[in-house]
Amino acid sequence: MRPWKWLLLPWLSLVIVGVFRYAREAQGFIPGAARIMFFHIPQAMLCTVGFLMSMIFAWRYLLKPNAVDDIKSATAAELGLLCCILTTISGSLFAKVQWQSYWNWDPRETTIVILMLIYAAYFALRASVEDPDRRARLAATYSLFAFVTVPFLVFVIPRIPALNSFHPKAVLWSSDGMSRDYKIVLYSAFLGFGGIFAWLFNLAVRVRVMEQAHEFEQLPASSGSVVKVRG
Amino acid sequence: MGFDFFMWVTLVIWAGLFLYLFRVEAKVSQLEKRQ
Repeated sequence: MRPWKWLLLPWLSLVIVGVFRYAREAQGFIPGAARIMFFHIPQAMLCTVGFLMSMIFAWRYLLKPNAVDDIKSATAAELGLLCCILTTISGSLFAKVQWQSYWNWDPRETTIVILMLIYAAYFALRASVEDPDRRARLAATYSLFAFVTVPFLVFVIPRIPALNSFHPKAVLWSSDGMSRDYKIVLYSAFLGFGGIFAWLFNLAVRVRVMEQAHEFEQLPASSGSVVKVRG
Repeated sequence: MGFDFFMWVTLVIWAGLFLYLFRVEAKVSQLEKRQ
């Protein structure tokens, strides 16, 4: 196992201790409620990263069809959707504590539901086509178009002032939005969760490449090349 | 329930996830060597 994978154990353990012991109470929130942002914001960012990676590998597939790029595109979309679901759950828990309701149909909540439906349709599309080449080509094209909606649904629509969102405003990017302790823990959490994301991506791609190689071996006259993925 | 309770719960969940990933990593490496 590579050293960075081992490093994740103490790193994220320290982040968790930092969340509960180092970061002080945030002003303007129910005591303790703001700490969920150390999990919620990295998940939200990784959701966007996953969908972006899916689009990049889909683009590469369309330029030069290659089964590994198709596997990587589907895996990145899966992890993006997983992070999207986790973001929704953690956001909903925060909403219950802060605003006494799990769901308010806030612009943020509405756009994330739309985003989940768009990527759920991606997997429905993949499941509905049997021919691997056709499936990969259609899924790659869908992934490209699906990503066009991501910047609007994540960054633009929830920030339209007229929509009057309850969601805490851009604390991450404003210079006076966060104290030093919050910045240290949050940026460390980004690295830690990014590491888990990379590890899951690496494992899932290696397993699927092996599965595909196994399927090639089952064929009587196999001419496909097996690509090794580094662990 | 104080913060300490949630901290320990989160640490236990993380340790469990790490152990699971560690086992999957070992299994995948073993299968790759066999191929």
